[in-house]
Amino acid sequence: MKDLSITVCGVKFPNPFLLSSSVVSNTAEMVARAFDAGFGGVSFKGIGGPSAEIINPAPRMHSYNLGSKKLVGLQNVEQTTDRPLEDNIQDVKWLKKHYPNNPVMVNIMGFNKEEWKYLAQVFEDAGADMLELNFSCPHMSVEGSGMKVGQAFKLVGDFTDIVKRNVKIPVFAKLTSNVTDITEPAMYAKEAGADGITAVNTVRAITNIDINNFVPCPNIFGKGALSGYSGPGIKPIALKCIVELAKKEELGLPLAGCGGIETWVDAVEFLLGGASLVQMTTSIVKYGHRLAEDLVEGLSFYMEDKGFNKVEDIVGKALPNFYETKDFDLSRQGAAQFDLDRCIGCGVCYIACQDAGGQCIEWDSKKRRPIPDEEKCYSCMICSFVCPIDNPPLITFKEIKGKKIYTPPPSKL
Amino acid sequence: MKQEVEKVEPKKDEYFQIEKPYTLSQAIVEADRCLLCYDPLCSQGCPAEVEPGRFIKKLRLRNLKGAFKVIKEKNILGGICGLVCPVDKLCEEKCLASGIDRVINIGKLQRFLVEYGWDIGFNPINKEKDKNVDVAVIGSGPAGLTCAAELAKKGYNVTIFEKNEKLGGILRYGIPPFKLNDDFLDREIEDVLNLGVKVKTNYEFKDKGSIENLLKDSFKAIFVSAGLTNAYRLKIPGSDSKDVLTYQDFLWQINSDKVDEIANKIKNKNVAIIGGGSVAMDVATTCKLLNANNVYCISLESMEDLPADKADLHKAIDHYVIIKPQSQIKEITTKDGKVIGVKGNEVKLLKKGDFSPSNIKDIPNSEFSFNVDFVIFAIGSGVDPKIKELLPSVAFDDKGYIKVDKESLETSVKGIFAGGEIVSGPSLAVNAVRDGKRGAKSIINYLNK
Ligand SMILES: Cc1cc2nc3c(=O)[nH]c(=O)nc-3n(C[C@H](O)[C@H](O)[C@H](O)COP(=O)(O)OP(=O)(O)OC[C@H]3O[C@@H](n4cnc5c(N)ncnc54)[C@H](O)[C@@H]3O)c2cc1C
Ligand SMILES: Cc1cc2nc3c(=O)[nH]c(=O)nc-3n(C[C@H](O)[C@H](O)[C@H](O)COP(=O)(O)O)c2cc1C
Ligand code: SF4
Ligand code: SF4
Ligand code: SF4
Repeated sequence: MKDLSITVCGVKFPNPFLLSSSVVSNTAEMVARAFDAGFGGVSFKGIGGPSAEIINPAPRMHSYNLGSKKLVGLQNVEQTTDRPLEDNIQDVKWLKKHYPNNPVMVNIMGFNKEEWKYLAQVFEDAGADMLELNFSCPHMSVEGSGMKVGQAFKLVGDFTDIVKRNVKIPVFAKLTSNVTDITEPAMYAKEAGADGITAVNTVRAITNIDINNFVPCPNIFGKGALSGYSGPGIKPIALKCIVELAKKEELGLPLAGCGGIETWVDAVEFLLGGASLVQMTTSIVKYGHRLAEDLVEGLSFYMEDKGFNKVEDIVGKALPNFYETKDFDLSRQGAAQFDLDRCIGCGVCYIACQDAGGQCIEWDSKKRRPIPDEEKCYSCMICSFVCPIDNPPLITFKEIKGKKIYTPPPSKL
Repeated sequence: MKQEVEKVEPKKDEYFQIEKPYTLSQAIVEADRCLLCYDPLCSQGCPAEVEPGRFIKKLRLRNLKGAFKVIKEKNILGGICGLVCPVDKLCEEKCLASGIDRVINIGKLQRFLVEYGWDIGFNPINKEKDKNVDVAVIGSGPAGLTCAAELAKKGYNVTIFEKNEKLGGILRYGIPPFKLNDDFLDREIEDVLNLGVKVKTNYEFKDKGSIENLLKDSFKAIFVSAGLTNAYRLKIPGSDSKDVLTYQDFLWQINSDKVDEIANKIKNKNVAIIGGGSVAMDVATTCKLLNANNVYCISLESMEDLPADKADLHKAIDHYVIIKPQSQIKEITTKDGKVIGVKGNEVKLLKKGDFSPSNIKDIPNSEFSFNVDFVIFAIGSGVDPKIKELLPSVAFDDKGYIKVDKESLETSVKGIFAGGEIVSGPSLAVNAVRDGKRGAKSIINYLNK
């Protein structure tokens, strides 16, 4: 087993896998079991300021399904914790006493300047290793909190500043993807002294509307709301945010990636994209803590295979390969290649190419085989996405030296 | 004119092919159907304690190496078991996915993962430091191979003594090649040998007490896993003809380079197989694959109570084997020493599973006769009588099997342990694996006392 530890802002994590702040990190008891199962650290469930009493709606979540696949996404309207502040303080103390080697980040959300300062101080006193400032919950009922802060960049700066002035422990700002450019609020946080950025919180969305009673899901006694969407469906968006933040040279802060991470492969992608830590919720909703052993083992095997000795060495490794589209070499073209010895004759490549591609595959209906035309192929590769023959794929892309770009002529009726 | 003598090369591949494995995508689709049960019943159903619920979850979470590791750590013969286990009575029996549509194909996933691990050249097993303690294992069937591997992992110096030319026991010389072929078997045995296990093949214990006497040599403990090598024959008229074989005689040839010879012999001929268990079905299917004409399986049990595993029975039926249940063969008819047919009649068993003559009632006017050219007995097997001489101090039970303590597998002699079919009677490969693991554990306890 490889050493998976990573030190971020002077805090050593036994591995980069964290529970993100949510239902999965609501009590010390459940967090302790997650540590036992192999998670490296936690961002403890969001704790709001004492000025607003939070009661969470029922039911508070909804599963977004895709065909027979359940929970490809999760919709929730949960706000900050409904547990008393004192209980959370005790829980954080208890965790630090019993699990001194598993860092605890506490996710806080003041409802005014005073509360930001107060919450930051009590949790520093309780022994938190870090703070995470929640500027990103997309469905808070308290005016001017959560995502509303993350969208008013100046407030990100103001609240970060208050916190930074009053505590010594490192502070992460947790940002929302519901902005045009996530690096803007990140720069405000940095200028106010933030030590790192977590991206992202749930994405404001709506997964389903019940077509019989017209109520959005989850249905809270006849009412629904645009609210937080998480899980595999948001991974590409979350990963984009991490890459944007990591590529922003003036920022230069450590990043915690969050959004749709299920397997070690997802986690490695976030590391390659520039995250030093990864956090997750929906995958734990789906699989439970037993996910941890496979994240840990998977990452360790990966590092052995690739010859990485430290997790740090993976962080940002893919960044040099990100370019602007204008930088592509357009003089190099290619075409789909078919290994027809293995074709079973289902014809879906033909349908895809005719109806959505370069219209360059003909169909031999006697032999039940596609007849591809390399000249006309514009290598969209959708034929390979639908072909059922994999391992290795029957249809592959190949560069063709000197190939001319082909565009379909004007249509004749 | 001088006739060229053509060297007969084995043509097994032409007759037999093992089932196609899953591709990676197919395995993932199958794993996606798994409910990932809490405290999964599949894991409880495996005698070797391979945890299917766990390795399927690992596959689902793309930790393929970890999944391979779980299988191999728990069962060094995990690939073979994936191929030959009657899973419908083991891990898949209580699979809860049947409540949705159908059970998860656990055996096939297990086999996929093992071959995947081999393909990527991943060795998941750690071997402890050498202990310089010698242990002997007698017989290289699944019980012996597993026991040897488990001991070797812990740093013991293991030697397997095997009387055959090649390792594997029934896995090699019994189970027909359409279920398990030599390439697959050799590959998995390699995993055992890579642990540093030594082997002495073609090894014959001759003198009285010579197995026991190993303890007077350098060996500190012995695991006896010599299996059942004495296939039974009925004593009825005609049963001593040369065209009457036991399943052992027959399958031995199938699994050796004599396969072509026997294929030529039974091509277009009729064969009667006596027995209704999995072995009888395997023999029948084998005959059909070798292009025999009519193949009959004649058994005392009713169709309902046939002891054969359902998959083996259906495979035989799919190959047009004629099953003749509730029937007793009374005579094998011969002409000039050659078999020409079998004669018998239908019967009723008064009590299920009791084959004593007083329990079998002939059904009047139900006589039948079939024209057949060969008869193969598949009615079970017992311990080789010679074993008793090689282990004179060891106690045997009234069925002729070695007597052991059920938990520790220790025999009546200190330092001698036994497992597999020589203890249990006819059983399954995975049960032999379980015994091999248990035996190794007890031997380690014994040596550390
Ligand atoms: C035709 C057939 C099909 C089967 N199909 C299946 C199946 O599909 N699935 C399944 O789970 N099980 C199946 N089985 C059963 C399974 O193969 C056995 O349960 C298993 O092999 C028993 O293992 P073992 O280690 O006890 O003995 P064996 O496999 O019999 O091995 C014993 C070994 O000891 C050696 N030996 C014996 N005497 C001596 C001696 N004096 N000195 C040295 N070596 C000696 C033998 O040569 C042999 O190699 C089948 C059996 C048969 C016959
Ligand atoms: C029910 C629920 C409650 C959440 N509560 C909080 C919270 O209190 N504070 C916070 O910063 N994020 C909260 N989140 C957001 C998660 O921490 C995380 O950023 C988001 O779910 C994306 O990650 P995932 O795709 O791994 O679930 C919550 C998410 C869910 C599903
Ligand atoms: S998981 Fe089900 S039982 Fe448990 S708290 Fe939620 S609704 Fe209740
Ligand atoms: S989709 Fe694949 S298998 Fe089907 S016809 Fe096209 S190439 Fe052949
Ligand atoms: S019992 Fe079946 S469905 Fe449940 S975990 Fe095992 S294989 Fe999966």
